[in-house]
Amino acid sequence: MDFWTEIPSLGKRDLRDLKKGIDSAFKGFSRKYGDGIEAFFDPLYYFLVWLEKLLIAAPWPIILILVAGLSYLGSRSWRLSVGSVLSFIVIGYFGMWKDMMATISLISVATVICIAIGIPIGILMSRYDRVQAAITPILDLMQTIPIFVYLLPVVMLLGIGRVPGLIAVCVYALPPIIRLTNLGIRLVDKEILEAADAFGSSYRQKLFEVQIPLALPNIFAGVNQTIMMALAMVVIASMIGVKGLGMPVLQSIQNQYLTLGLMNGLAIVALAIIFDRVSQRYGKRLQAHRYGKDHE
Amino acid sequence: MKKILFSAVAAAALTTFASSASAGCGQISMADMNWPSATLMANVDKIILEEGYGCEIEMVAGATTTTFASMNEKGQPDVAAELWINAVREPLFAAMDEGRLHSARKMPITDLGEGWWVPDYTLAKHPELKTVLDILARPDLFPAKEDPSKGEFIGCPAGWGCQLSNINLFRAFEMEKKGWILIDPGSQAGLDASMAKAVERGDNWFGYYWAPTAPVGRYKMQMMDFGVPFAGADNWDGCIAKAEQDCADPKPSSWTESEVHTVVTTNFKEQASEAMDYFSKRIYPGPVMGQMLVYMDDNQADGGDAAIEFLLSHEDVWTKWVTPEVAAKVKASL
Repeated sequence: MDFWTEIPSLGKRDLRDLKKGIDSAFKGFSRKYGDGIEAFFDPLYYFLVWLEKLLIAAPWPIILILVAGLSYLGSRSWRLSVGSVLSFIVIGYFGMWKDMMATISLISVATVICIAIGIPIGILMSRYDRVQAAITPILDLMQTIPIFVYLLPVVMLLGIGRVPGLIAVCVYALPPIIRLTNLGIRLVDKEILEAADAFGSSYRQKLFEVQIPLALPNIFAGVNQTIMMALAMVVIASMIGVKGLGMPVLQSIQNQYLTLGLMNGLAIVALAIIFDRVSQRYGKRLQAHRYGKDHE
Repeated sequence: MKKILFSAVAAAALTTFASSASAGCGQISMADMNWPSATLMANVDKIILEEGYGCEIEMVAGATTTTFASMNEKGQPDVAAELWINAVREPLFAAMDEGRLHSARKMPITDLGEGWWVPDYTLAKHPELKTVLDILARPDLFPAKEDPSKGEFIGCPAGWGCQLSNINLFRAFEMEKKGWILIDPGSQAGLDASMAKAVERGDNWFGYYWAPTAPVGRYKMQMMDFGVPFAGADNWDGCIAKAEQDCADPKPSSWTESEVHTVVTTNFKEQASEAMDYFSKRIYPGPVMGQMLVYMDDNQADGGDAAIEFLLSHEDVWTKWVTPEVAAKVKASL
């Protein structure tokens, strides 16, 4: 009768030995190769430190001019540009300037890395069904696995701080850009591709001159989602010692400092909205421009 | 008349109950608190009191404040093996003055408390490092990744009470001027992992931690003497333990003493007077407790398993706490 009530299981001792075995194998790996792996990521680490120090050291009016300029360049909207500058001023006024700069440096580097890795993978997935079949479950895993499950091994390898934080952010923020690049390219009209074939275009020409341009709205939606998810990870990244707006949020959660939590939380939201609107407008503008040219 | 009769009966009932109880110790409820050393101690107490003193123990799960509140208000559970009293100091002392609660043992574990730690091999390699002050003079031994010309001190996770104390002590010892960076590990997981990473690779590590804990036992961490005396409760409670802006002039000080007591109710004291004697002798040496916590961690053992392991492997420790007859009874039951 035991068969029906007790699910067959590895004995307690075997299970323990299995876990201990894997743990100690990982620790051995970390002892042996940890320094090498850390050295591999060092350029990235020093770049992050450099960027953060640069942003913090830069005089605030220059940052504001940059913010105004970049957001105008991206969106071509005075209202958005003024709104961004105002939110930066308010955030600075409430004493969150340094934390904001630290967060911006991490998020922008993370976004650039995610785009640089994500778009090529998305293109590969759209080209080969097998690659898609292999990568989709990995993306599912990246988006659902509880963060600390992979964060602690990463911290054991690389130490606490920016690089593991960046990796955590990218693991979570990478999937949307990959998925949407893949989807966008796959959704390009078959007839248009046939036309391109008929004109005798090579794969390369088809990809860069037909598929990617037509997939841009989706790709930009992916970039946008990636930025949003990266910002959502700011607090988690702080849990392994990344400086920024996430630290005060952690502090407020532990101590029920409602206002502190709210202020820093809203600062993250403000950053998210600015990044979101600017990148969306930029994406749209890119499209409008192309359609405009096509119609001419 | 009726009233007098009733109270006489009640009194008689009470005395018979009390006398029968003292013979067999009776039913006791015991707090099984939610961290490893406390649950180990509670389970060891349970075995010894049940087998050696004939008590019937019921375990009640709980955390520090909830357990204390229940003991204070309702007199249940009867025993809290490892109560860290800093959080409940005032109501606890009030209850002790009123005679409702009693401390059966102050500091049931040695070498416990919070402080600044380094791995033992760092001290072996650099015997000149005797106090925190000596370490502060050598930031080069603990190079920070961000800026290797500076030393790295790992503080307490963001939002914990100890974060403020660490920040203020960092200021009090003028560590910035001495070439140190204060790193916020962000969470206990981050703090543990930074220690584990350093020790696994044989690097030096200097930071905040507390005992009794498994990482301290596993990595043979040594708590450093601060090299300065405790600079008074005014300095600590009025400045060091407060937010940075409320602490204008922190003075260097050793860490405030953490007081831990085994606390029992009056009910227990009267019911199980023999067991009070056991509690008064029950002191776990810090390294033994550290070993046990590592054992629990490695084997993912619960308090019950760990208690049996402790009784089997550390007989020399616990047999001193009880009479030979009791020890024989407990041993026979294992």
